[in-house]
Formats: sequence, structure tokens, C-alpha cells
Amino acid sequence: MTATLTVRGLHLTRGTRAILQGVNLDACAGEIVALMGLSGSGKTTILRVIAGLDVPDAGEIAAGKTGMVFQFHYLFEHLSAIDNVTLAPIHVHGVTATEARVRAQSLLEQLGVGHRADALPRELSGGEAQRVAIARALAVDPPLLLLDEPTASLDPARRNDLGDALRALAATGRALVMTSHDDEFVREHASRVVVLANGVVVEEGDPGEVLSRPQHRATKALLQVERARHGVQ
Amino acid sequence: MRLVAAWLSAMLLTATAHGQTPAPLRWGGDAEGGAPFVEADPSDPNKVTGFDVEIAELVAARLGRSPQFIQIAFQSLDQSARRGDFDIGLSGIEDIPARRQSLAASIPYYEFREVLTVREGDRDRYRTLADLRGRRVATLGGTMAYDLLLAGERSHGITAVSYDEDVHPYSDLANGRVDAVVLDHVLAERAMRRNTGLVTHPDALATGHYIAITAPENTALRDQVDTILRDAMRDGTLERIFRKSQVWNDDQPRLFERVLSTVGTNPLSTLGAPGTLGVESAVRLYLPSLFRAALITLALSCLSMALAVALGSLIAIGRVYGDSITRLLLTTYVEVMRGTPVLLQLFVIYYGLSSIIRLPAFLAALVGLGLNYAAYESEIYRSALEAVPRGQLDAARILGFTNIQTLRLIRAPQAFRIALAPMTNDFVALLKDSSLVSVITVVELTKQTQIFATNIGSWLLPGLLCAAMYLAMSLPLGYLARRLEEQWRMPGA
Repeated sequence: MTATLTVRGLHLTRGTRAILQGVNLDACAGEIVALMGLSGSGKTTILRVIAGLDVPDAGEIAAGKTGMVFQFHYLFEHLSAIDNVTLAPIHVHGVTATEARVRAQSLLEQLGVGHRADALPRELSGGEAQRVAIARALAVDPPLLLLDEPTASLDPARRNDLGDALRALAATGRALVMTSHDDEFVREHASRVVVLANGVVVEEGDPGEVLSRPQHRATKALLQVERARHGVQ
Repeated sequence: MRLVAAWLSAMLLTATAHGQTPAPLRWGGDAEGGAPFVEADPSDPNKVTGFDVEIAELVAARLGRSPQFIQIAFQSLDQSARRGDFDIGLSGIEDIPARRQSLAASIPYYEFREVLTVREGDRDRYRTLADLRGRRVATLGGTMAYDLLLAGERSHGITAVSYDEDVHPYSDLANGRVDAVVLDHVLAERAMRRNTGLVTHPDALATGHYIAITAPENTALRDQVDTILRDAMRDGTLERIFRKSQVWNDDQPRLFERVLSTVGTNPLSTLGAPGTLGVESAVRLYLPSLFRAALITLALSCLSMALAVALGSLIAIGRVYGDSITRLLLTTYVEVMRGTPVLLQLFVIYYGLSSIIRLPAFLAALVGLGLNYAAYESEIYRSALEAVPRGQLDAARILGFTNIQTLRLIRAPQAFRIALAPMTNDFVALLKDSSLVSVITVVELTKQTQIFATNIGSWLLPGLLCAAMYLAMSLPLGYLARRLEEQWRMPGA
């Protein structure tokens, strides 16, 4: 299986702080890779570097067209949901407005927010905004989709819906890379977990394996924090 | 308490001391371009010279008081006299009915002729106002000559152009901005010496007189002034003063004779001046011109704002996206425009640059206000652009938008919504600042109101009408802006 994303030896320093210290990462079509780690471990930075928003000091990235869904969605506040989705196809990819609208509407339907097409971002709930943001990222049909903390703004019922939606996306041949704090969600929906600590990968593998029998102390610490957060002893 | 008592007794002592030596005679005049009436002494700019200065000194001397000059803008002399800013006003003040109604006016002491000055090449073409149909004719605002030109607008189809002083009408005539100037012969003769290539037709379009003014209740001082002037006509003092300033002519002995043969302070017939206006007919006469002036204010404000918005946007974009040299240049522009008075900028654009580019007054006003407000607008847009959340730009970048597309499709539309409220404030400010352009001869609402007020001798009614018109323009704007703001409210804004 060829990798949709290949990252080798990624280094990034901000001021005196080394954020990434030689990260290697792969993601293949059909795979959902979860990046886990305590706050400040460099998870979000990796996504930003892959997306081209931050420039690394060293390292190689091989990735095709990439879509990204931000933790806070960053929908274009002055445009309706459907206009958020059609903007890039029309202006970047030269799709006609009619065609873009038809496709956008069907994407919104698939994600269960077809009825909110004309709503402004400020009128959407957190879960709806996230789905619109996913639709916006998918509208230009990227083989690689990055998601920053996709479960952060969702209640438990919505979390499972999202998991199903992500697996359906992976099933169509996309590679998904997401950051997450949520070990339950990762265990249930990710195909692989990568644990980061201090800007390096310390452990990776099958989520059930890694999260049930953590080897590295960073992974153990992470799970303890998560348990404490959920009130589980 | 003791301190207060000490202070009070000190004040009383001072007052008593003043009671012993007579208070100085405070006299008001305008030394700006005021030759030969009142002007700054070339050898000592702190002193004034001119025939009105000498008349003031004469009056003070014969009253046993010392003269004290107070600088008052020509257009404000009447209002200042009424407020009591000075005891007596002397500055080539014309004898017009409104003035005689609202102030105590002296007997006339000098007779002048309103004369037509044109460029030498037009000597035969433009002999009377009737020859000047469709042409621009300049004069000093708030004078008999201006009323004459307003009448000429109605009867001969000329365009009256009003100036705040008497120097630039003639220089603008010399450089072709206007085609004729009507002013009194005293000013015309002075101007002919300053500017080459001008001729003045000797025939009088009208005659008028200069008078001294005092506050309306101060008729006692006015009567004393009348007596002193009459004595000075009899004993040759006035003739000596006028000869010294080279303004003596054959009209004056005839005037003196007429004045000395009448009793009291009744005015002589003021030939050529419009008849006395009642308030009601004054409103009827001036209301259309106020509306016209309001339209000029509105048009000027809208066009200047359009220029300011366009230019301000470019400056803001340059300051946000440009390289360091572009940013430095634009920052310099913004600081210079914001750090110097818009009045100065208007003068420079209209008069200062007239040897390089001769802009018509309205265009100069539009450009001046537009360039000035562009600096303010650019600051609003710059901070609005910077207030658009970083995440919006990140999202745009990942989707593949170029910088220009991001600006056009995402950043600018959001910034515009943020900038809308401060922009509306600026537009209302511009609407009011547009009154400054009267200094470069554009008669907009405030200037027209001032002319109105001068001619009826009161600010009350013209002021209320003017305020109502400004409000009628600015209130709907504020309302519209609030509506749009509510409609476009940004989250967290």
C-alpha cells in the first residue's frame, strides 16, 4: 500500500523551544491515524506543518492535495454554509457556480447538515459547524484530510456519528490524520495511533494494543490524565 | 477666607486705579489683507497701519483715551461688536441696511465705488455684468459687492464666487480661475498694483460708504464718534488721513458736504444696495440658496468620501501587504496628512499648487478633503484587516486561495463589516469638515448660512436652519449604519 502522506525527520523550533524534534509519520489511503499526546506535545503543529501553514526548520513532507478541519472550524463568517463550501471550487478550481452548488449540497446532505445550507456560521451549533467545515475541506476532493481535535466540540451522541462519518470517508480511499485527546474515540474509530511526547514519536501501533498496554511512560501519563478528566478511577 | 478677602480688596484697588485713568478705546478691525484700511506695519508686524488705524487713533485721542487694536476676522466684525468684544469697529465696514438695523452705525466717512476689474485682454469684451453671462465673477463675501453679484446671478446669469479675503480674487483673476472681480475701488486700485495684466473699468456699478460700528446699545459712543468725524471733516483732518493713504478723490468733499448738511445719523441713500429685508422675506430669499448649498455639501462629502474610501483602501492594503519601503512611504503619508490641518492642505492644493496645476475650486475641495480623509480611512481599514482572525486566513490558504483572492473574497468583506461603524462616524465628520472648503471659495452650507446671517444681521434663524439641514443629512446616515451593523454583526464584535 502506498502512503498518501510521508513525513520524515521533521524539526521545528520556535524561539528557544524545540517543538518538533525529528518526527516521522505515514498515512495510507483508507487509514485513520490518530495523533495523541499531552498538550504542548506538538500534535497540532504537525498538522499545520503538513498543511503548509507552518514552515519546518528541517524535514521532508510528501503529501498531495490536503484538506484541513480546524478545532474552531474557522468557517468564513460572512458566508452561508453552502457558500463556504462552494467558494474554493469556484474560485480556485474553476468549477461553475451551478455545479459547485449541486456538489456542495450533496456533501452537506451526506454529512447530515443539508437543511442548514443557508445558515450563517454564527447560527450553527458546534457540531453543525464542524460538519460544514468537513464539507468545505472535502469540496476540492483532497486525498488527505487533517482534523484538529474533531471531538472537542461534540456531545457523546454526536461523537459516534462523527466516527461513522470519518470511517465512511476513509472507506472511499482517503487518508485521515486527526489529533485527539479522546482515547475512547481513538480506540473505537482510528486504525492507528501515534503517541507524541516532546516533539518525537514515542509509541505507535494498533489503538487497542497501544492504549490497553501502553509501553512508554508518556502514553501512561496521557491515559491517566484522560481518565482523571472523565472521572474514571 | 482671609485669602479671598485679600484677593477681593486687591481687585477693588485695581478697579479704582482703572477708574482714575480712562480705559483704552478698544477698536476692532481685520489686519489680514486689510490694506489700506488696517494692515500689519511692514516695519513692525506687531503694529497696524492704514487709514482706519489713523481714524481710530483720532477718535481715541479726541475722547482722551488710548487706542487698543483688537484683531477680528472681517466676517465676524458685526457679531463681535454686538458681543462687546470691542468698543468701536473700523475696517472698511460698509453701510448696509442690515448693519444699521442691528448695530449702532456712525455717519459715513468715506465714499467708494464698486468697480469691475478684468484681464487686459478682456477689456472690451467684459464692460458690465451683463457681458459676463455664464462667467465666474469674484468678490469678498458678506459685502455689498457680493449682494450685487447675487443680483447679477438672477438678472445676468453670472456665477458669483465668494472669497474670505480680498487678495485671492485678483490673483485668481490674473491666473484665469475667474473672469472678473467686483469690489470697491480702494481694493481694486491696490490689487492693480499687485497684479499685472488687469484693468479696472472706471464706471461705478454702485456706490457705498464706510462707517464705524458700535454695539447697538452704545449709541452714546456712536454719537461721540459722529461728532468727532464731523469735526474731522470740517478741519481737514480726514482729508489729510485719506491723502496720506492715497485714497482721497473728488467724491469725498461731496460726501463731506452732504454729511455736514444733514442732522443726526440717518444714513445717506445707499445706492445699489438691496432694500431692507424682513425676516420672512429674507428666509424666502435665502432658503433656495441654502438648499442649493446643502446639495453642494452633500455632493462634496459623498464624492470626497468615495475618493477617501478608494485611496484609503489602497493605503491600508499597502501597509498590510507591502514591503518595508512601501510601508514607510504610506505611513509617512498618513502621518503627514493626519498631523497637519486640513485647512492648510486645502490652501496648498488650491493656491500653493496653482502655478503647477490649476484645479477648479470644487475639484480642489474634493481632492483636498479626499486626500485628507484617505489617511484616516486607511487607519480604520488597516486595523480592520488586522482584526480579521488569523484562522480565517489559514483556512483560506489551505483551500488554495492566492493572497489576492483571500483579500478580495474573505479578508476585505469581513474587514468592511468591522470598519463600517467608524467609517460612518468619519463620514459624518467629513460632512461637517466640508464647511472648511469655503476658504477656497466653494459656497457650501455653512458659508451660505454665514452670508445669510451677515445680510440679515442675526445668526439665530440662519443657524437653526443650517443645523436642521446638517442633521437631516447626518441622522439618516447614522440610522443606516446601525441597521447594516446589526445585520452584519460579526461574532465577538
